[in-house]
Amino acid sequence: MSFRYKSALLSLISMALVYGCFFVSVMVQRHGDGHANPVVQLGGAILALALIQIVGNLIIAGTSSDKYSAPDERERAFDRKATTIGYYVLIVGALAGIATLHLGFSGPEIGYAVLLAIVVAECTRQAVFLILHHRAA
Amino acid sequence: MFPIANNVRAEREARGMTQSELGAAIGLTRQTIAAIEQRHYSPSLEAAFRIARLFGTSVDALFQWDEGVSG
Repeated sequence: MSFRYKSALLSLISMALVYGCFFVSVMVQRHGDGHANPVVQLGGAILALALIQIVGNLIIAGTSSDKYSAPDERERAFDRKATTIGYYVLIVGALAGIATLHLGFSGPEIGYAVLLAIVVAECTRQAVFLILHHRAA
Repeated sequence: MFPIANNVRAEREARGMTQSELGAAIGLTRQTIAAIEQRHYSPSLEAAFRIARLFGTSVDALFQWDEGVSG
């Protein structure tokens, strides 16, 4: 497995886990009586994700011989295709975020919907990159 | 499988090169060379020319259109 494959896998798993926990926590608070500050929670999630990505990529780089090689034409093609699909997911997510206005959602909830759209789009981009890599291996 | 067949593996092995060495010589990764050899990836025209020039042969001799898989 190449450095970029392992790095994309780390990004996908860490984003799904960290933001998954964040959104579950938000949902629990919305339906329960939690008092945690969502801004602090979001800040914590972003910091945790950054920490996982930095440490994880350092470990991956230490075990990959191709860590300094630039992406070649095949990897750039995978990246273009993954970005295109991720963009469509982001557009659908943004429209769904706008649709929440008509469901009676308030300001913070619309913000969460937009954040969810961004996270899902990025996870899709990483997942498509991994699938293309895997299929062409 | 892509419809472009190739003799890259035979030509590479005839010259005693590894996939990593061939990739490094033309600016592709070892994984991409492996994918080209297994017909899981069709290289760009530029990469095809680079491989052909490195082997001292023509693109035509190295890559062939496979009617059987062209659909």
